[in-house]
Amino acid sequence: MDINLQVIIKLLAALGLIIALLIANSLVMVWLERKVAGFIQRRPGPYEVGPYGLLQTLVDAVKLLGKQMVVPANCDHVLFFLGPVLAMFPMFLVFLVIPFGPVLTGLEDDLGVLLIMAFVGFEGLAVLVGGWASNNKYGLIGAARAVSQAVAYEIPLILAVLAVAFQCGTLNLTLITEAQGNWPWQWHLVRQPLAFLIFLICMFGETNRAPFDLPEGESELTGGYHTEYSGMGFALYFMAEYTSMLLVSFLAAVFFLGGSGGPLWPGIWWTFIKAGLLMTLMIWVRWTYPRVRFDQLLNINWKWLLPLGLLNLWLTALVMKCF
Amino acid sequence: MTGLSSSISSLYDLVERFWKPLAELSLPGPAQEMMAYAAFAFYVLLIAGGGLAAVLSRQLVRALVGLVLTFLGVAGLYLLLAAPFMAFMQLLIYVGAICVLVFFAIMLVKNTQTGEEAASPGLGQAFGAILAALAPLALFAPLIAARAGELGDGLAPRETPLAELGQGLLSYYLLPFELISVILLVAMAGGVLLAWDRRFRN
Repeated sequence: MDINLQVIIKLLAALGLIIALLIANSLVMVWLERKVAGFIQRRPGPYEVGPYGLLQTLVDAVKLLGKQMVVPANCDHVLFFLGPVLAMFPMFLVFLVIPFGPVLTGLEDDLGVLLIMAFVGFEGLAVLVGGWASNNKYGLIGAARAVSQAVAYEIPLILAVLAVAFQCGTLNLTLITEAQGNWPWQWHLVRQPLAFLIFLICMFGETNRAPFDLPEGESELTGGYHTEYSGMGFALYFMAEYTSMLLVSFLAAVFFLGGSGGPLWPGIWWTFIKAGLLMTLMIWVRWTYPRVRFDQLLNINWKWLLPLGLLNLWLTALVMKCF
Repeated sequence: MTGLSSSISSLYDLVERFWKPLAELSLPGPAQEMMAYAAFAFYVLLIAGGGLAAVLSRQLVRALVGLVLTFLGVAGLYLLLAAPFMAFMQLLIYVGAICVLVFFAIMLVKNTQTGEEAASPGLGQAFGAILAALAPLALFAPLIAARAGELGDGLAPRETPLAELGQGLLSYYLLPFELISVILLVAMAGGVLLAWDRRFRN
């Protein structure tokens, strides 16, 4: 690759914008989560700070910044601090390859899908490192759950994505967007409904969101893998969760919902609208469904999603070969 | 509406005038070469440092984190060799799957430094370790010696397109590809068999 000023400026600008996006996302999403939760549970949610409590998260962020980070005795100090950092740092990289708009891609890469899948794997490792290093039984159990869940749900997720990539004949996210048209019936949602369903379920498993939030199930594990984390350590894990929510929502929008294409004025706003709606759906599901049991969680994955994913891939191959 | 569209087109003109020429301002060749060397040094440092951490640390989990660092460095070297597919696969499989599973096994071990690995290694163990570390040299030393002083052709490595890679796996390299899948199948069947036996005997 030729390194010129254009490439350098583009990468730096993309990184800056992504960092801004991720911070803004966490601020807005935490507010939205609490507001939607309040709406569903028939209570007002935050409303004191700012109009409709909009500035509540900002104040919370200042509080978290000012809080003392308590380091438990007999924990592994290096790994204890490495955990939250490891949870956040790959996130800046994976957003580089997402095509937000027709020309708004930080780094156009022919292996974009693979890059995302490769760096998302760090998430499980970060949870493990943090949970193990805090020298707490709840943390350890949470981490153990997180890893068996992450490893399990990654496979059907990849199978679903693979079916779409297979149909488009590319792993380049921009080309996958372009393969879909502006109208909803041209999107992969219609051509690959089973893959979309699998992806949708795996979204909750991959992001450790309710009803699949067993790694941090507060009624049984106090806080799961982040039991011992306070202040910024907790904030980073929290931010990583909302960031991975944003990531899977953008991925679903790009893979199955036409990305930046829309019936009216196709452009970058469509990607954001679709991702935003998907995130709202995730919040809605969280406050609607009860948490599943751990064996149920794994049974859904290994006995249903994995065979269905394989079947879908096989059918896609068959259709591609015959027609 | 016409005002809006004309202002948009003038914006495009502005972008054309100032953005496009930037692509001509390449970094000079020697500087790019220096960057490649710097990246190479960084990755080698990662590999060596991670390897040392993996071997020397008294805690299994720290050793595993060292191993992850090594894998990161290896992935970086693949990127330098213009093999991004290998690099991402390295991360996806080794970091995302294998290290996580090894971690899972380690977690069943106590979080204290009282295990066998906490004792300092004896002289015989250290000697054996150094011998093992030198073993790859036996393999590569003749190769390195034969090509010592020989310089590369100075060309940047060519990136193999993904489609070509896939075709290669399914045509010329079909036998190794299938053999590896047989090995994986055997391992998986073995795992199922072991678990099966245990579950139904109790």
